[in-house]
Amino acid sequence: MKQATLLWIPALPLIGAAFNLLFGRFLSRRTVHLVAVAAVAASFFYAAYLVGGPLWEAFKAWRGQKTEVMDGLYQHVYTWIEVGSFKVDLAFRMDTLSALMVLVVTFVGSLIHIYSTGYMSEEPRYAAYFGYLNLFTGAMLILVLGNNLPVMFIGWEGVGLCSYLLIGFWFTEEAFAYAGRKAFIVNRIGDFGFLLGICLLFYATGTLDIYSPNADHPSLMSESSVAAYRETFFGGERLALFAGILLFIGACGKSAQIPLYVWLPDAMAGPTPVSALIHAATMVTAGVYMVARMSFLYAHSTTAMAIVAGVGALTALMAAIMAFAQTDLKRVLAYSTVSQLGFMFVGVGVGAYTAGIFHLMTHAFFKAGLFLAAGSVMHAMSGSGDITKMGGLKKYLPQTHICFLIYCLAIAGIVPFAGFFSKDEILIGAFGTEAQGWFPMYGKVLWILLSLAALGTAFYMFRLYYLVFSGENRSDPETRGHIHESPLSMTGPLIVLAIGTLVVGFLGLPHLTFVQKYVPNFLAEWLEPSLVDFGRPSLEGSIHQAHASDVGLLTLMGIALGIGVVGILLASALYSKGPSSVVARFTAGAGAEIYRLAKNKFYVDELYDKIIVRPFRWIALGVFEVIDRFLIDWVLVEGSAFVVDLFGRITRWFQNGQVQRYMVGLVLGGALILFFATRPDADFDWQQVDTLTVQFEADVGKGPGSNGAEVSFDFDDDGTADFTATWKKGDPPVVTTWSFSRPGEHDVSMTLKDAVFKKTGTVEKTVVVEEASGHGEAAAVEKAATTDESARTPVGAGGAQ
Amino acid sequence: MNDIFYKLTVSHFLILAAVLFAIGTVGVLMRRNALIVMMSIELMMNAANLTILAFARYHGGTAGLEGHSLAFIVIAVAAAEAAVGLAIVVAVFRTRRHADIDRLNLLKN
Amino acid sequence: MTRFWMALALLLALAAPAFAQAQPPPVPSPSRVAPGGAAAARQRPAGRGGAPAEAAQGDARGGSDEKDAGGAKAADEAAPKGFSNSRMAALFFWVFAGLTIAGALFVITRRNLIAAVMGMVATFFALAGLYAMLYAHFLAAIQVLVYAGAIMVLFVFVVMILNRPEDEPWALQGLLGKGLAGVAILYLLVRLSGVLWAIKDQPHAEMAGPSPPPVAVVVKGGAAEHPGKAPPREDAFGSTRAVGKVLFNQYLFPFEAVSLVLLVAVVGGIAVARPHRDEDHEKKIVVVS
Repeated sequence: MKQATLLWIPALPLIGAAFNLLFGRFLSRRTVHLVAVAAVAASFFYAAYLVGGPLWEAFKAWRGQKTEVMDGLYQHVYTWIEVGSFKVDLAFRMDTLSALMVLVVTFVGSLIHIYSTGYMSEEPRYAAYFGYLNLFTGAMLILVLGNNLPVMFIGWEGVGLCSYLLIGFWFTEEAFAYAGRKAFIVNRIGDFGFLLGICLLFYATGTLDIYSPNADHPSLMSESSVAAYRETFFGGERLALFAGILLFIGACGKSAQIPLYVWLPDAMAGPTPVSALIHAATMVTAGVYMVARMSFLYAHSTTAMAIVAGVGALTALMAAIMAFAQTDLKRVLAYSTVSQLGFMFVGVGVGAYTAGIFHLMTHAFFKAGLFLAAGSVMHAMSGSGDITKMGGLKKYLPQTHICFLIYCLAIAGIVPFAGFFSKDEILIGAFGTEAQGWFPMYGKVLWILLSLAALGTAFYMFRLYYLVFSGENRSDPETRGHIHESPLSMTGPLIVLAIGTLVVGFLGLPHLTFVQKYVPNFLAEWLEPSLVDFGRPSLEGSIHQAHASDVGLLTLMGIALGIGVVGILLASALYSKGPSSVVARFTAGAGAEIYRLAKNKFYVDELYDKIIVRPFRWIALGVFEVIDRFLIDWVLVEGSAFVVDLFGRITRWFQNGQVQRYMVGLVLGGALILFFATRPDADFDWQQVDTLTVQFEADVGKGPGSNGAEVSFDFDDDGTADFTATWKKGDPPVVTTWSFSRPGEHDVSMTLKDAVFKKTGTVEKTVVVEEASGHGEAAAVEKAATTDESARTPVGAGGAQ
Repeated sequence: MNDIFYKLTVSHFLILAAVLFAIGTVGVLMRRNALIVMMSIELMMNAANLTILAFARYHGGTAGLEGHSLAFIVIAVAAAEAAVGLAIVVAVFRTRRHADIDRLNLLKN
Repeated sequence: MTRFWMALALLLALAAPAFAQAQPPPVPSPSRVAPGGAAAARQRPAGRGGAPAEAAQGDARGGSDEKDAGGAKAADEAAPKGFSNSRMAALFFWVFAGLTIAGALFVITRRNLIAAVMGMVATFFALAGLYAMLYAHFLAAIQVLVYAGAIMVLFVFVVMILNRPEDEPWALQGLLGKGLAGVAILYLLVRLSGVLWAIKDQPHAEMAGPSPPPVAVVVKGGAAEHPGKAPPREDAFGSTRAVGKVLFNQYLFPFEAVSLVLLVAVVGGIAVARPHRDEDHEKKIVVVS
């Protein structure tokens, strides 16, 4: 276990954030963006250094030994919580998976920071923006590098917070503020599921560390935990299923899957670089990362995996449909993001973790690029994103145009751009996976859904492309006059990302034998030590990924490519010259229903409003009325005033200034005291001394009346006294014995006649007489059931005759 | 029955004292004039004195004279209290022109 | 009023014979004459039954004037026990008791203040008689001197000052509370009477009473001369000397403290009741702005 100061990786952006948020507004813009960009860039270079140096060494070592889990780089900062057996450290770990994420986040993040210096140059709250951006980057890095679930959750919440801050950055516009709030709340719902999952895992395994450096402290990956995952938890299902689903709910919130995706389209209210960073490349990928990170958990529940994959596929398709009908540039991209995230979840859901992460990486490049390009276009169009008013921009924005085209080709899955390789791997993985407990052909069904979604992706992306850049310009003359290419600060990152899109794909070449002979799939090898291996004995072969032949693979790849091409051709046919009249007729006529549904996002927002938001409002109003208005204001506040007033009134009666009233009080008090002091308090005690014989002892009580009191007992409940005695002061207590005729319960009463006050008091008790010694019948034994009797039995049994 | 009338015991004196005390209490409660009230209070104190002396005689034994001392002190203190009380009544009467304790309720509430 | 007193005297005359002693208690043997000293402390009730009865009867016929309580009776006492048990004593008790209660009822019911004061005086005299019966001679005298003589005179002075005609005599405000209090008083009275009645049967310490004569009557020729006629001791129970002995020895501190109390009362009374002239009020509080 190599120690490395991983803390700097998130700390540098966080320091930048603190600096900018505290002091930024007093400094020049130059200082602000220099600090911000430097922070993220420094983080990137440091991470790169760590990856290239120590981590690479660790990787090579692992390859030599082939232990199950790679050590990676580890840093224990300090013990954060230690309560009983619950111990959580602030610890970071970089293995190959998190290294990849760190590099992607910091690299793309740096580019977006640079882009923002241009895009946000007119913004008055410049420092706050960069502060939040840095804060976000720091939180994301904490999320990725955390070695235990609570630290990951810190990052999880942190990115959620920054998402809120940045979406609602221009909060003076009410709709934008609401969008920020919506994002946060929907995220929070997912976070709740995540927390429940954490609790469940702690309950089952007693630890929350993902990896433990010393062998005697268990981690979530160790044998004991794995055994716990496989145990039946509830309803015949494994623990892994419930933990997996709960964690996945969190992922749905973060990564905008059904049913918690509704915040992402509205999130486009934030500045475009924010959309690029957060909602394309980093935050939304946190869910995918989490599932991949917890692969050792998901692998033990094929049902959970099926759910993950199924949700992903459905989301992919549904988002694609919704994207057809959108007319705002960023909205289309937002739905595209949702759709692509669905792809990623299918990838990790079927066990093709490498494919999912690969797509995450490539998607980061081209989607961020798409958003930045969209920003560039909107910048040129004076801030408008309405594609119906664009068109023919390729001659005005050449650099933006070329980059945009490259991104679109990538997302459509055209070789040799990155999207081809990554999307392909997912499709192949889905097609070829069989697992225990899955419906037959489930993998194939997923493949069909994804293929349809891919077709849709190609189509709507190129629809977008054509409507924006081709045809005639449809904007009004005033806007047209301002159209200009963006400055280098904005086009520079676009170009870098375009180059990335071209190159990154080759990191994960397909598993065709003729290809693998020369160039291995780097990514698969790199990620191997961090992801679960389905050949592990503990998995008992529950998941089986078919090894397809080269021919099969090439066929599938061909189909995928073909789908992409078909989509592009369809789009070009319809839109290459601008808005299509065919489509217009279609949407007005036969397809009006579908169009309306798609345009209104299947009315999901309205549905949520009706079934969740409104009831919550009612509940809140009800609670307010009942608890706040009635209970607290009326009952507690007014009520306590009333009670105080009442007591005051009662007390005031006594104090009316008239002496005679006080005397009344005196007299009444005296009478009361006398009354209560002279009540008879006689009592008697009984004990069984022999067979059916019980001894009674009378206690005449204290008080002047007891002297000379007459005590009488009635043992047989016939109303006549069976024994009478007079007690004088100084006499021993009155004791008498009585033999009962039969065992069982008897009512005995004692009467005390008070000599002074002439009061008579009676005490009645139930005496339980039992048969002593062994020859008792069963009936008597039953009556001896009362516990205090069993203590007395020896007395009776051994009693003298 | 005859013995109650013919044979004196300590209880005779005690009950007489109790009745006297009760009469005094009723006087305090039911009369309006401050002077009458003060006289009723004196009645109550005398009832107490009677009680003390009855016990001193019948149950005193060798310590009976201590009861007499106590009664003596009570008389002295009652005198002092009567003096001061009457001074107060006079002072009140001077300012208010009446000694009606129903109307002397400045300590109200 | 005169009719009242006349009726009372008549009642007394009629009732007195009922209290005549039926038969004197038996006379014990002369050898029982105690030589004093060691046996002096013990009372021998039976031995002195007869003579005191006659002596008491003589007293009764002497016309007991209730107002003339105090030392007179004590001087005739030769054998205290005997008299205390006698019917004559009971008669005296009832007379005095009746007078006490009558006086008390006077106090609380009269509208005229002077009448109330007079009733009070009657009560005090009757109480003095009762004190005498209880062998508290010194206190009986003090009662008359201080209570009937000083305190009541003070009350009379104040009544003269408060010469305002009486308003409604009964304080009927808050009658509910007072009614409740009345019920409570009744309850207390009844209950406590029960207790008090039972006390007579409780074991108790010895009766305190006049000590036997310090010097025995010399037996001349075997018989006591006047066995029941020994003069009472100077420091008999309840006498001035006896009480004084106790007061100045054991209870010196309370005695002196009481003198302080009286001093305070005098000063306080003057301070409260003196007429406040204007110059007293000139010491006004100046409001500092």
